[in-house]
Amino acid sequence: MTTATVDSHVVDRLRGIVGEDGVLTDKASLFNRARVPAPFPVHRWDEYLPDVVVLPRTAQQVSAVVKLANEYRIPVVPRAGGTGLADGAVPLRGGILVDLKRMDQIHEIDLVNNTVTVGPGINLETLNRSLKQHGVMYPDDPASYAVALVGGRIGTSGLSLLGARYGHPRDLVISFEIVLPTGEIIQVGDGGGRKVRKSSTGYHLKQLFMGHQGTLGIVTEATLELVPRAEAEFAAFFLFDDFDKAYRTFAKIGKSGIATLGGVMLFDPEKVDYLRRDDEAYIVQPKWVKSVCAAALYGTRPEVEAASKMLMELGRSLGGRYIGDEIAPWDWAARHDRYANPLHGRDANGQVLPMSWHCEDAAVPYSEVPAVLRKWHEITARYMEKYELFDDWGCFAYSNGAHKPWGDLLLEIDLGLWEEKLDEEGWQAFVSLKREIAQTVLDHGGSITACHGSTRTGDAELVPIEMGASWEVMKLLKRTLDPNNIMNPGKQCLDEAYQGGV
Amino acid sequence: MTTADHTERKNTVDLAMPKPLDEVEQAFVDKWHENAYGCFSSGHKFCREVCPVTQVTRNENHTPTAFHANVVAMEKGHLNIEDVADDYVHCTQCGACELRCPNTLMVGDFYRARTETVKVVRAARAMLVDKGLDREKWKQWNRLTDELKNEPVLGVDDGSQPNGQAYVRNWAEGLDIPIGGETIMFVDCEAAFYRTSLPRAIAQILQKAGYEFGLMNEQWCCGGPAAEMGYVEQSMRFARHNIDDWRASGVKRIIAIEPHDYVHFTEDYPAYFGDEFDFEVIQIVDLVAELIRQGRLKLTVPIDRVVTYHDPCRLNKRKGIHEAPREILRAIPGLTFKDVDRVTQWAYCSGGGGGLPIEKPEITAEISRRRLEKAAELEVDTLVSACVWSERPLSAAGEEAGIEVKDLMEMVAESAGIEIGGRTRA
Repeated sequence: MTTATVDSHVVDRLRGIVGEDGVLTDKASLFNRARVPAPFPVHRWDEYLPDVVVLPRTAQQVSAVVKLANEYRIPVVPRAGGTGLADGAVPLRGGILVDLKRMDQIHEIDLVNNTVTVGPGINLETLNRSLKQHGVMYPDDPASYAVALVGGRIGTSGLSLLGARYGHPRDLVISFEIVLPTGEIIQVGDGGGRKVRKSSTGYHLKQLFMGHQGTLGIVTEATLELVPRAEAEFAAFFLFDDFDKAYRTFAKIGKSGIATLGGVMLFDPEKVDYLRRDDEAYIVQPKWVKSVCAAALYGTRPEVEAASKMLMELGRSLGGRYIGDEIAPWDWAARHDRYANPLHGRDANGQVLPMSWHCEDAAVPYSEVPAVLRKWHEITARYMEKYELFDDWGCFAYSNGAHKPWGDLLLEIDLGLWEEKLDEEGWQAFVSLKREIAQTVLDHGGSITACHGSTRTGDAELVPIEMGASWEVMKLLKRTLDPNNIMNPGKQCLDEAYQGGV
Repeated sequence: MTTADHTERKNTVDLAMPKPLDEVEQAFVDKWHENAYGCFSSGHKFCREVCPVTQVTRNENHTPTAFHANVVAMEKGHLNIEDVADDYVHCTQCGACELRCPNTLMVGDFYRARTETVKVVRAARAMLVDKGLDREKWKQWNRLTDELKNEPVLGVDDGSQPNGQAYVRNWAEGLDIPIGGETIMFVDCEAAFYRTSLPRAIAQILQKAGYEFGLMNEQWCCGGPAAEMGYVEQSMRFARHNIDDWRASGVKRIIAIEPHDYVHFTEDYPAYFGDEFDFEVIQIVDLVAELIRQGRLKLTVPIDRVVTYHDPCRLNKRKGIHEAPREILRAIPGLTFKDVDRVTQWAYCSGGGGGLPIEKPEITAEISRRRLEKAAELEVDTLVSACVWSERPLSAAGEEAGIEVKDLMEMVAESAGIEIGGRTRA
């Protein structure tokens, strides 16, 4: 167990590594790096503070910091954007918080091999603004596009809303450099070459370190895929008078074979109700609208034009009504901005409350989606009745597989949590609610997270259950790579790997 | 089974409970609680990458998100204003964060809950002044402003610079502009003493178009910079002087030639004086666009330059003025204009606002360097701005980048065949 303290001697040595302006010990620096947008036990804010923050600029500095941490058995927590939804960047045992935002350089744009090599602290939108003049883009498109950083996308193995067309970070990050928990700097890819996308050499170590949530090291550089900027984009939203038709339309579109399909999306009736709570983010639809299915196409103009006709036919084939040209493109364009809003929170009487957004994600087989949704809403209703802290903001589903918009879905339930009124009882109720939601997913053959990560309290306890017998292998890997349990300790029950002591 | 969130640990940094909030801090926290909580509870941080300061420092303490989280932390007894004093210096008050906030964008009007960050920064700075925690360079700047009645834009070290009331109209030499009248042109300090080519260009443009105007009788600083740095009492005192002077000379209409003044006259003065403030305020770019439209001002001299336009933050992000400057540029013959849309420019800034260049000149310089880097990508020879405060740091960066920085009004004057005179630097 890593329990050593960060004293002035350690701080001085950190200054020696990253320089005077790269070490922060003041209270404001610590309090502002304790949380992420996920609900947070704000009544216990000071329990989640790091002891010291470092802002490195190079892999060598990161390596030296990690080696120092091993020497003193001090926990290390990497933090990129700090906008993850699974608490990966939240320090559970203090220690050294390695904030990577200063490693935000573009090192190389290779238009011959279609790669871009960047530091982990660069934002996706910022990167694409620089790439635009070259006619290429890095097509990772999470809801947090405007603020997500490359390091965090690798750390969480996130989902791209355009994944059906271009793939997700696990497909789009070709290779990366990572500082191991013991401080060595290695390069991981499919095989050895930094710009090689497919190899049969050795083990595929890239995927081992993809989504490690800071438990297996710190990514310091990444080589990313560049795709031609899409010449044409087409988005269509279809309205349904019941969920089942929208749900079946989702599969028809997903299985259509349209290669330009960027993603397919589904809103359940509770989500439509939630969106009706305001009239700016979502144009109010007639009362008969109970569900929405949407899809977007990306590609060359001739491809998208032809596919758009197919998409319109498929969307209408089970009774869907097209939302209209005056709304569809803008609704799609707003996909990053309206993913949650605190002011949509309501108490039982409909009173507006500023609520924090909790988005519980899961990967669920298509066949199980209706049953899981029903249970999720039942669980939430039970907690809403007992505690005046929660609100059901509805569910949406998204095509999950890279290049395969069928089979399993990213399923999300959005919950409002009145964080301001939290006490320990309320927080524990929230954790318990989340655990029930996650357990439901396991009961239906799914995975408790498709994109956020399984590091949140409530979810984390179920990781050994989901992993089954492979949990032993996971623990073995963790113990082997991180003998002193330095990297982000306390996450995902991985402390179990050290039950015999470090 | 382990419980992942139970953290039996002692922090090694001194986290002793801060002093209880005093009256001033409590009032600040009470006033901004709801606004702060709207940000804290969503925590999206969409503001981070458009914030010009954070783009440079990459320090989460300097994000608008932190400015709101600090309010919550103070309320919970974790922080005092002393703990965050230097953080609130890291802001140009450009307003990009407010525009990019999903709360503002998606539901701000519906719930009447647009995120306010600039006002929070200003209130925090005012608290620093109240508590004697204000920054040394700001203190000096505002003390000299109080003595000179104008900002010490020519330097703070030596009292011999031609600055202050005795020199406030020197820029207008030979232009024969009357004092007073219904409409006056308010010349801000940077233009009056530093980039005198700008007020000269504007005065001659208005004269050429036959637009009647005068100068103010005894023009003090508008008081805006003081308000931005937290010196509220001084700001109000200067504002009072100015409106009394206007009233005494029968002024009804103020032409603001500078965007910061425009914000101050249209937001702070009405807040200070309520209904007593009944002056009409016109921004120069709106006026000149109208004069061109009406045919009163003819732009006939071709300008053979390749330009892009820098949306000054206070025009674009704070006041929504972005069409008129583009309309004017397109009316200038000979010009090749490579435009970058106003929304992309939410993330651009010169770093010249909010007192940043006084306290953190190295950050201002880097913000400007990056702005010129964007201009260089467009392969232009000139960057045109419409804010004199932006033009000093942009020009310095422009020299490095080999790109000239001009004011929009200097371009207009040149195209109208005016010999401007004056100078673009001290």
